[in-house]
Amino acid sequence: MSRHAAPVRGPRPDITTSPTTPIRRSPPAAHREHWGVSGFGTQLWVLALRSIRTAFGHYRLIFLGILQPVVIMLLFSQAFAGVSELPGVASYGSYINYLLPATLVTIAVITAMSSGAALMFEITSGFVGRLRTMPISLFAVLLARSISDTLRLVVQLAAAMVVAVLVLDFRSTSWVASVAACALTAAVGWGMSWVFIAIATWRPSQEVMQAASFVVIFPLMFTTSAYMPVESMPGWMEAVATVNPLTYAIDAVRALTVGDPYGTDLAAALALLCCAALIGILTAAHGIRRTR
Amino acid sequence: MPTHAPVHVLGLGKTYGKVVALDGISFTIDEGSVLGVLGHNGAGKTSLIDILTTGARPTSGAATICGWDVVRFPHHVRRSIGVAGQFATVDEELTGRAQLVLLARLYGAGRRAARDRADELIDAFGLADAARRKVRTYSGGMRRKLDLAAGLVARPPVLFLDEPTTGLDPVSRNVLWEIVTDLAHQGTAVLLTTQYLDEADVLADTLIVLARGRVVAEGRPADLKRSLGNRTVAIRFPSLTASEYAAQCVASHGFRPVRDSGEPLLRIPVSGTGDIASLVRTLDGSGVDVGDLTVSEPTLDDVYLALHGAGDHPG
Ligand SMILES: Nc1ncnc2c1ncn2[C@@H]1O[C@H](COP(=O)(O)OP(=O)(O)OP(=O)(O)O)[C@@H](O)[C@H]1O
Ligand SMILES: [Mg+2]
Repeated sequence: MSRHAAPVRGPRPDITTSPTTPIRRSPPAAHREHWGVSGFGTQLWVLALRSIRTAFGHYRLIFLGILQPVVIMLLFSQAFAGVSELPGVASYGSYINYLLPATLVTIAVITAMSSGAALMFEITSGFVGRLRTMPISLFAVLLARSISDTLRLVVQLAAAMVVAVLVLDFRSTSWVASVAACALTAAVGWGMSWVFIAIATWRPSQEVMQAASFVVIFPLMFTTSAYMPVESMPGWMEAVATVNPLTYAIDAVRALTVGDPYGTDLAAALALLCCAALIGILTAAHGIRRTR
Repeated sequence: MPTHAPVHVLGLGKTYGKVVALDGISFTIDEGSVLGVLGHNGAGKTSLIDILTTGARPTSGAATICGWDVVRFPHHVRRSIGVAGQFATVDEELTGRAQLVLLARLYGAGRRAARDRADELIDAFGLADAARRKVRTYSGGMRRKLDLAAGLVARPPVLFLDEPTTGLDPVSRNVLWEIVTDLAHQGTAVLLTTQYLDEADVLADTLIVLARGRVVAEGRPADLKRSLGNRTVAIRFPSLTASEYAAQCVASHGFRPVRDSGEPLLRIPVSGTGDIASLVRTLDGSGVDVGDLTVSEPTLDDVYLALHGAGDHPG
């Protein structure tokens, strides 16, 4: 068994001088192979692999995971068809060109929300409780979740793109631009997942978690140019939209897919996403370590 | 180099708001010994384990595991402990085997070693049939066994088991008892809570009894039983008249027979072997026929009921 260095003595009552000196029996064979610890990289790898296996481990889950973006895509393209008459939309050629980026970002946000829900399930089911008693970094647990869910998102985005091209007649300027648009959307999903992971680490009840998620999602999604041009909104909403990170993300994705200049939107989107992710990471790292 | 007791607890207290869960607990567990913690529901057993496994902070007092303070060095403490909590902490979506492999990998085992360890534990707990099924499909007892196996993955020098055999069938319970006894022989320090007094009797070297967050009794199981003093002599007579007559005889010699309503049976508390001899002489002298005589030792149930029975059991 591995013996550790003597602990640092501090202001706490000195209780290391125990009155009963333990009698050491013949070498405790059971502990000779005591492993101790794994590196952060191993923890991340093992935990991420586990989430990915869970996400893709069942055909029903794969099917539903891919169906979801497809349904959103088809539904939105029909429901908002009338919007294509509006002046802000006309310049994009067809409404699908206007809608696709918004749909991609919607998918990203929904996946990010499910990230938080999945983490919360792991916390309530006690699995995170087990990890808490182990010598591993709890941050690795969170990071693994955000990474594996972003991978899942990439698969979903690819499926959405395929449907858009085959069924809805979406044409991008170049496939490189489409890939870049998907990458940016994945970054949106990654950044936003931290917001929901952060909420989950504060161990809200199921109801509070749902309510909090919707409070985050609806204002974020509807005060963007996602479905309607910002110019057609009432003044106050337009004001909110101009400070919403998702507006920039959607505009940048849109510019990428139709070949417009995207520089400032992209920079603003990435900067704001990094901010959101950073706040989420700090809050989550603190929340998950909290003890009763 | 000083040797540190695997578990050392001094004046540990924990309050949740107004609820006092622990109120100044102290004890030591040595290498290779098993401490049994008994107590009514809400006595503070799980709170104690939560603190020692770094899941909760004490509000007063201190505890060390292998010399490491649980509050200041939680990461070091976690290297030395294995835990099976009161509620199973299994991952529904993995197979039982995959779960054990995952945990072993997180403890730093290589792929090969992790798989070997998983198979070893699956065998030990008799989970071979279910090992490749998702935990979602497991029965309650199977989950519990998997959770116990999970606590042993790293071969920790200190083991915490919170009501480990609740929900296990008798065979599995015996298996766990053997595993715990083996581990203790090999030097593992074990803290085990239980509601089953026979379990405490079999496994524990030392017992503490908690009530409302305080230690109300502690010692070796045998000492606790002896502290209660009385053994009981149960005597069966051929008829009710005989038992009634015998009761009067022994009562006149200072014994306090308890009649069993309707049965020709007397229970007579005695304190020592001398008492038994004089009881037998008295009966012999009275000339009454004795059918059957048994002497029973006090059980831990008696101890427990004596501690909690005297109007001390909180609702
Ligand atoms: N998180 C918590 N918040 C508030 N009170 C708590 C919390 N955890 C435990 N308690 C209270 O602390 C006391 C001790 O609870 P604990 O779970 O330690 O009891 P126990 O001995 O394990 O009981 P059981 O045999 O039922 O498992 C109880 O009164 C309980 O209500
Ligand atoms: Mg309990």
